[in-house]
Amino acid sequence: MERTDLKQMLGRLLGPAGPEVGCETCFEELDRYVELELAGKDADAAVPGLRAHLEGCPACREEHESLRALVGAEQAL
Amino acid sequence: MSVAGAATVGAVEAGIPLSTRAPLSPALDAESREWLRCLRADDATREEAVGRLHALLVRAARFEISRRRPTLPHLRGDELDDIAMEAADDALMSVLRRLDDFRGDSRFTTWVYKFALLEAAVKLRKRAWQGREIPLEPESWELLSSSAQAPEAEAEQSELLEAVQTGIAETLTPHQRRVLVALAVNGVPIDVLADRLGTTRGALYKTLHDARRKLRGHLRDSGLALESGLEED
Repeated sequence: MERTDLKQMLGRLLGPAGPEVGCETCFEELDRYVELELAGKDADAAVPGLRAHLEGCPACREEHESLRALVGAEQAL
Repeated sequence: MSVAGAATVGAVEAGIPLSTRAPLSPALDAESREWLRCLRADDATREEAVGRLHALLVRAARFEISRRRPTLPHLRGDELDDIAMEAADDALMSVLRRLDDFRGDSRFTTWVYKFALLEAAVKLRKRAWQGREIPLEPESWELLSSSAQAPEAEAEQSELLEAVQTGIAETLTPHQRRVLVALAVNGVPIDVLADRLGTTRGALYKTLHDARRKLRGHLRDSGLALESGLEED
């Protein structure tokens, strides 16, 4: 196993180091978080713990990436 | 159960009536206010708005499916479109049921998109694992074991990984062990595992979080520096 794979495995097993919100709070705050991100504002300060959750939860991370891509594409029109 | 559904159940359990309308942000844009006005109307305006909302949700669900299409070669185009329609239908129900929860912290369209994206993503993950066995233990331990013995592995990371294996075996409950191995080692999607175990995504993530915290505690007690094995090159 390559060094990168080992590191990724450890990351998945140990998760984010800091405090994080759960999946429900992530879903509740995701729209606000994405709009703040796209506006270039400090989304992490506005919704503490959400970034850490996205690092630790692949499903929420995928949904965040999709919402950001969808809203970003609309704003670009 | 979806995350959106779980949040609704949480509100009921907390004794919060679902009809309580969240106060709207004064900064809410005019278009979002117009959506709310139309969806709360009691005449044909509402029906027309529900139709427009459904079309919006279909578009969002199709967006999600097109992003994931390369990972779904076994699904035909008409099956994917059926999934998009089902996701949009389910999202529409969630949005209408939770309309009073909208606080106006984002535009209304951004708020509704997340319901369609969630429904589509959950359905696609479940479809991808349909009929597949969920690996919970044996192959996972082999995977961990082989990674720990890899000759090219850095000694520090290998030591960490070995300590993690010990922590998994000695400090976690059987449930925590199964959840951690399925999600973090075998890559089973959290919705799929929640479905198979008859629980919710939120509850499973709490189990995963607790297991990770125990593992980190075990490594600290073993005198190992956690971040040295995880830091960037």
